[in-house]
Amino acid sequence: MNRYLKLLHMEIHRFRYILAGLMAITAAVQIGVIIRTLVREVAKRKEDILNHQSIDVGSALFPSGKLSFASTMFGIQFWFALPILLSIAVLGLYIFLIWYRDWFGRHTFVYRLLLLPTARRNIYLAKATAILAFILGMLAFQLLLLPVENVIFNLIVPAEMREASYFADVIAANQALPFLLPQNFDQFVFSYGLGFSAVLAVFTAILLERSYRRLGILYAILYLIACAAAVIILPVSNQTYFNPSAYLYPEEFFMIEMVIFALVVASSVWLGFRLLAKKITV
Amino acid sequence: MIEVVNMHKRYRLRNVLNGVSFTAEKGQVTCLIGVNGAGKSTVLKAIMGLTPMSKGTVRIDGRARERETYEKVAFIPDHLTMPSYMKLSEGLRFMADFYQSWNQARAGELMKFFRLDTSERVGNLSKGTAAKYNLVIGLAQDTDYVLMDEPFSGIDLFSRESIAEVFSTDLIDGRGVLLTTHEVGEIEHLLDKAVLLSHGTVAKEFQCEQVRSEEGKSVVDVMREVLWV
Repeated sequence: MNRYLKLLHMEIHRFRYILAGLMAITAAVQIGVIIRTLVREVAKRKEDILNHQSIDVGSALFPSGKLSFASTMFGIQFWFALPILLSIAVLGLYIFLIWYRDWFGRHTFVYRLLLLPTARRNIYLAKATAILAFILGMLAFQLLLLPVENVIFNLIVPAEMREASYFADVIAANQALPFLLPQNFDQFVFSYGLGFSAVLAVFTAILLERSYRRLGILYAILYLIACAAAVIILPVSNQTYFNPSAYLYPEEFFMIEMVIFALVVASSVWLGFRLLAKKITV
Repeated sequence: MIEVVNMHKRYRLRNVLNGVSFTAEKGQVTCLIGVNGAGKSTVLKAIMGLTPMSKGTVRIDGRARERETYEKVAFIPDHLTMPSYMKLSEGLRFMADFYQSWNQARAGELMKFFRLDTSERVGNLSKGTAAKYNLVIGLAQDTDYVLMDEPFSGIDLFSRESIAEVFSTDLIDGRGVLLTTHEVGEIEHLLDKAVLLSHGTVAKEFQCEQVRSEEGKSVVDVMREVLWV
């Protein structure tokens, strides 16, 4: 097997328990809060049927009196988003740890990694791919969880109290989900392009610090500022995708930002490869 | 032959290495000797590309360092470099996965020789046991050269004896060994060549047997003369 794939396998293997833990927390919290909310709502309606012989008990959240999956999602904003935010925080922290864990501790594994008879860029690529795989893995897990949660909704809520809803409405109902799962492809490419360029810029900043140590911290900060400036220069000049009075057409804005992302990615990867090959120090 | 030519290294505004040049031949045990902070470990790391040189050249059998160098030269640092969560058996599998030069049969022999338990975790090893496992990782590769950084540092007498014993077995025979150590007196009889480092440069390079027979001096005697001034 190709050494890059072996390194990638190793990186994923090392994070497997944390990833599984994040998935378990996400599933437990989201399913738990859905069950708790629905059981309470259904019990309330059953009680109303006994008292008034009707289920027409509208509320701000359920105006028709019936329960829909989308409205339920709207009603559990905080608890639904909490594990997502936790996962984002852990993955964000791991972007740093994926490098630093090899340097710190009693047994510094980075020696072994740098002594492998393979191009050092494979170490960089394996770590970058692993982060991408963790992000997309969590996203895929969330996508799989939604139909499961829908099934749970159907199991708890009796058919006569149920109102049908579309998945697009379900995703739009929660404030966290539209960011994770944008409804148009351009927005998806934009958000994830921005995220991945940021990950690679941080990788390069970490390698600058590891190569030049104290002076490297300064280089790293300057590099991150330069990348951020390149990316936000258009939005700051009010040339945003959503601004109808902007000088640029949305498509032009989108294309220019994509080119800027590509330049940030290319410069980060080139510099990262070079630092690993020539400047890194253990 | 490992050739180090005019190696310079600057670290925190200080010249750690200031034009170090020497050679380590295949089939010989060469020892880099110097007081603390002389730059011995830095030389080994720079040979292996683990720290950049400010200036200088490293050639292995006449060629600059390339990725195949790591199949030809094994480096045994002064500490174990496998992650703590790994079992010893997993560490051996990792090496077998990545190195074509890995010799599984030899790894098995060495594990037996040092009486290491493959089900043990790296994080649970004592310092002496970790040093032995470190040696297994380095010596089980079929390499032409082995670089060792302080292989006897901080370990007990019996572990030291079993590590020193390795030098007189066919595990080392025929290979070029370049090592650094403070325990020169204990392994003097195993050394073919000594390179004395002082103030970031080579103060003296000599064949140990020649100095013994011609001048009647031990390596430690020469060390005292050259380094203790």
